[in-house]
Amino acid sequence: MKTKRQVQKEATRLHILETAYHIYAEEGFSATTNRIARAASVSHGTIFVHFPTVENLIVCLLDDFNAEINGQLHGLSEKNEQLETFLEAHINVLIRYEAFYKRLISEVNGLPQEAKFVFINMQSVVSFHFNQVIERCKKEKTIKEIPMHIIFNSWLGLVHYYLTNSYLFTEGSVLTEYKEELICNFIKLIKK
Amino acid sequence: MKNCIACGMPMKKESDFAMGDTKKDYCVYCARPDGSMQSFEEKKQGLINFTIKTQGLEKGVAEKAVANMMSKLPAWQEYFQK
Repeated sequence: MKTKRQVQKEATRLHILETAYHIYAEEGFSATTNRIARAASVSHGTIFVHFPTVENLIVCLLDDFNAEINGQLHGLSEKNEQLETFLEAHINVLIRYEAFYKRLISEVNGLPQEAKFVFINMQSVVSFHFNQVIERCKKEKTIKEIPMHIIFNSWLGLVHYYLTNSYLFTEGSVLTEYKEELICNFIKLIKK
Repeated sequence: MKNCIACGMPMKKESDFAMGDTKKDYCVYCARPDGSMQSFEEKKQGLINFTIKTQGLEKGVAEKAVANMMSKLPAWQEYFQK
């Protein structure tokens, strides 16, 4: 059983991560730890008790985010899952975290190396489920003979383009507004 | 709910577990045909190949990303001890 002190420590750690999530989503990953400490109402030193470096804070945050996405995507590629259902589920997960995810894909190139690897692994979870659905479609000969990585990267490219340039399309949630159009036309592109 | 110790996948239903055995700590994708868990090298190579196939990454990048992922999983801790 955890001591009261351990429970308190974990709660503070979680609170810092949740605050960092919102601050990074709103202000980008260049937001300082001072800014996060103020928003979390903890001392600046407290941040470093839990996360020795800024890099560590970002990596831990992405690890947690990755685990959350993983949990939500799990089970999407069940036996009879249609391609359309899978793509819709993927977008629905992204809509839940749209502001943060948009920041992440816009700034990932400037993040520490380890954070980039976590980002790749985040996409691996998606590609794992996507691949299962695509393999099934290939067996049923319902889609064109296109290499899996081109299918996957084209889908991500499309979604990421709309996200990073959302100002071109809407003031609201671009994924919510364009979900159907993106899914329907992406399927048309790869369907036989 | 458990997470696979070898790849991190959430294991929610029986069919997620190796051999459908919910007492096992690893998933159906990390098991060999006889039900035993894949070795470190088998899993590493499988993940690298999969990452290249599905995301088109350069081999060196895929190797580093996979090493980063595996270093955080309970099954492979001994391979990453500093």
